[in-house]
Amino acid sequence: MKNETPFDPTHSPWLATYTSAGIVAKLQTPQHASLAELVQERCAHFAAEQAARRLKHPAFSCVMPNGMNGRLSFSQVNAQSDAFAGYLRQTLGLKAGDRVAVQMPNCLAYPVAAFGVLKAGCVLVNTNPLYTESEMVHQFNDSGATALVVMDMFADKLPGVLLRTGVKHVVLARVDAFFPVIPGAVIRGVQKVWSRVLPPVTVPYVRLAQALVQGRATLVATPAKTYWQDINHDHLAALQYTGGTTGVSKGAMLSHGNLLNNVNQMLAMGATHMEEGRECVLTALPLYHIFAFTANLLGFLSIGAHNVLIPSPRPVQNLQRAVENFPITWMTGVNTLFNGLLNEEWFTAYPPRELKASIAGGTALHSAVAQRWVEVTRTPIAEGYGLTETSPVVSFNPLRGTPRPSSIGIPAPGTELRLMGDDGSAVAPGEPGEICVRGPQVMQGYWNNEAETAGVLKDGWLATGDVAVMEPDGFLRIVDRKKDLVLVSGFNVYPNEVEDTIAQLESVLEVAVIGVPDDKTGEAVRAFVVPNPDHRDQLTTEQVLAHCRRQLTAYKVPRSVVLRDELPKSPIGKVLRKTLKAEAQAQVR
Amino acid sequence: MITEFETRLLGIMMMVIMLGMGASLTWRDFLIAFRKPKGVLVGMLCQFGIMPLLGFVLAMALDLSPGLTVGLILMACMPGGTTSNIFSYFSKGVLALSILMTTVCTLAALVMVPLLLEFYSSMAGLSSEFKIPASSVAQVLVVLLVPTVLGMVLRKLNPNIGATIELLGGFMGIVVIVFLVATWVPRNHRLLAETPWPVYFAAIGLGLIGMALGYALARLLKQDNNRSRTIALETGIQNGPLAVLIVTLSIAATIQQEVLLIPVLYSLFIVLSSSVVTLFFRRWATREALARDRLKAGSLLVT
Repeated sequence: MKNETPFDPTHSPWLATYTSAGIVAKLQTPQHASLAELVQERCAHFAAEQAARRLKHPAFSCVMPNGMNGRLSFSQVNAQSDAFAGYLRQTLGLKAGDRVAVQMPNCLAYPVAAFGVLKAGCVLVNTNPLYTESEMVHQFNDSGATALVVMDMFADKLPGVLLRTGVKHVVLARVDAFFPVIPGAVIRGVQKVWSRVLPPVTVPYVRLAQALVQGRATLVATPAKTYWQDINHDHLAALQYTGGTTGVSKGAMLSHGNLLNNVNQMLAMGATHMEEGRECVLTALPLYHIFAFTANLLGFLSIGAHNVLIPSPRPVQNLQRAVENFPITWMTGVNTLFNGLLNEEWFTAYPPRELKASIAGGTALHSAVAQRWVEVTRTPIAEGYGLTETSPVVSFNPLRGTPRPSSIGIPAPGTELRLMGDDGSAVAPGEPGEICVRGPQVMQGYWNNEAETAGVLKDGWLATGDVAVMEPDGFLRIVDRKKDLVLVSGFNVYPNEVEDTIAQLESVLEVAVIGVPDDKTGEAVRAFVVPNPDHRDQLTTEQVLAHCRRQLTAYKVPRSVVLRDELPKSPIGKVLRKTLKAEAQAQVR
Repeated sequence: MITEFETRLLGIMMMVIMLGMGASLTWRDFLIAFRKPKGVLVGMLCQFGIMPLLGFVLAMALDLSPGLTVGLILMACMPGGTTSNIFSYFSKGVLALSILMTTVCTLAALVMVPLLLEFYSSMAGLSSEFKIPASSVAQVLVVLLVPTVLGMVLRKLNPNIGATIELLGGFMGIVVIVFLVATWVPRNHRLLAETPWPVYFAAIGLGLIGMALGYALARLLKQDNNRSRTIALETGIQNGPLAVLIVTLSIAATIQQEVLLIPVLYSLFIVLSSSVVTLFFRRWATREALARDRLKAGSLLVT
């Protein structure tokens, strides 16, 4: 990689597109010094708007599958997160920079805990609630977390985890936190008696409600601002764990500056379709994931949107009441979520009337899904691209203008981007190369892991491991993950392309493509197909193959097609190709 | 006998049940149901085709007295109860279909029940004192529509209240049956002991045979196993409390006792028989899921 090359606009052909798409090319310097200040100032601003009756909605609503809901106003968000910051710093005696793990599905306790951690000047460690005991142990030990805020439903793993980690303080949250009394009691009752999801807690803990009472009492002597007023852009805000792909997950160090800048980059992208204080965003993706964390939690909060949190988006029917009861204007999601909604009759018959736009990320958005989404909702859906290491937005499709199928769009304002070949120099125009990114959103490195950091980060340039081609006007198209490439007799086959082709079939609900070892060709393409239940028993593997033969060059056509009932997925709904690969490998043995 | 006070209490409980049912619904649900009406139509066919016919055939075959016959036919003509939704949930069935069937059938009952009742009562050659006037059945149903609509409005206004009364309504369905058991059985244990087996057979068989026939018809009309199981439960489980309410409101006190016998017995036993069937269905559904898993592992490879 060439280093220290000054930013050269002639290598940034996308700059011209900004103007026509209504995007401000120059990235605004964040007006807040820290995320804590952002939360404090924005919530205070919108609380005042609310008091003046210029704004009618709360900051957050949490909607259960049966329609029961609770809400947090902007002033409550500030008051409760201040109290939690006080609890962490005064009651528990944590210091600035101490790591606090937050392990919850979407619920009203999440913003209180996460913002509380940030206002305390501590570092947020987002943890997936579905983690196994050993994954938790690794993440807590690696991050050195000393306190944990966890949803009571997931407390069963705590005894084993606490013994093997440095976590000393446990705060228990509940999914019905901040709900009105009766619905809260009903949800609680159902959890306890009916679904029996509340395990007995055998370790010492404090309930979030108690912690907030204790914390609030400390604010008189020491206001929460004391803890965050000296934080600036270079301070570490979050350790976001990623990269199970290489085996061990690593903590990406995201600073306050990284996240603040990325919020601005994301808002620049959506500005044409956003109005301050007027949006209502459906947050079905988990907030512990960087996409929803930056876009939904931070981004939409900062424009005073009403954030509708869904604790569990699966089955997709769980979203029905939320979509019916709230005037959703924005949605963020992954391919599987949009696809799932498009297969629900209540959604396609009555798509949200107020919807303005949606953004898709996390994984490739199939063009068939994108096209149907536009047909059904009559609103644009823009695919973006990013990774945990970049807070996450790197590029996006402008919402204005003709949609470009299968494109991940153009780099976000303030982002430098190059496609690099294996030899370490930029590839010729139109050739596939690895995406390398430099910009204010690129992480500081991996926590306590210089070797891994050095492997991906050089002179501020992050090597993403994703291969893309760039069109003359700067639009990018991902060809695939470098490591997912299937090498058939020396030819590169990109699973995404094959998946996209198979997904065009109406009788296909979902599809995943991987490479499996093959004696003759080295690797062979295998497709896993989930038939659409509406076209039950109509799909044959022969049909899939025939379709592929019509659409694809011979070497790209799958050697084998496997029909399945479902595909393995990550918590946010990314299809896990590595699990399929492992399954295939186990079969070979 | 059921006292005046109990009749009123039953009426109020019924209102709560209907309030809950209304709260489980939106107008959109109906509109969607009519966009793709097959499942609901199959369900209606089971509910208003199979069940009344089954009731009639049972009454004739077992040679029941006129009082028992009218009770059995009324029971057979009833729409599904909200309890069926709970059983459907436990049996891993298609909950949306169950709720929709209950609702659409309850609305259709307004027209269908008086018609069917009239038809089968004449077929059975019942004398006029044993006939339940069509107008009084319609009246009860219309009165019950008020809480249903109110439930729908409440849900629209406040989802929290809607969801709470939705749950409350579901539980009330069971409470009513427990209430019947607690108040009616102790006072009538002699009667129960004297009741001949054909009456028990009719009361229990209506539910069980109804489920079996409902399943068979649904399969015949190309519904998949899971939907068929849901339709089966929905067909067999009738709105017992509603039948009891109609009898107490529209049948002369002198013969009320006899007419009530089958609806009450049915209500008692349907809880037991649907629990057993639910367990069986649940295992069946689990077995199917496992079989699908095996299919995955065995995978249909094409080379």
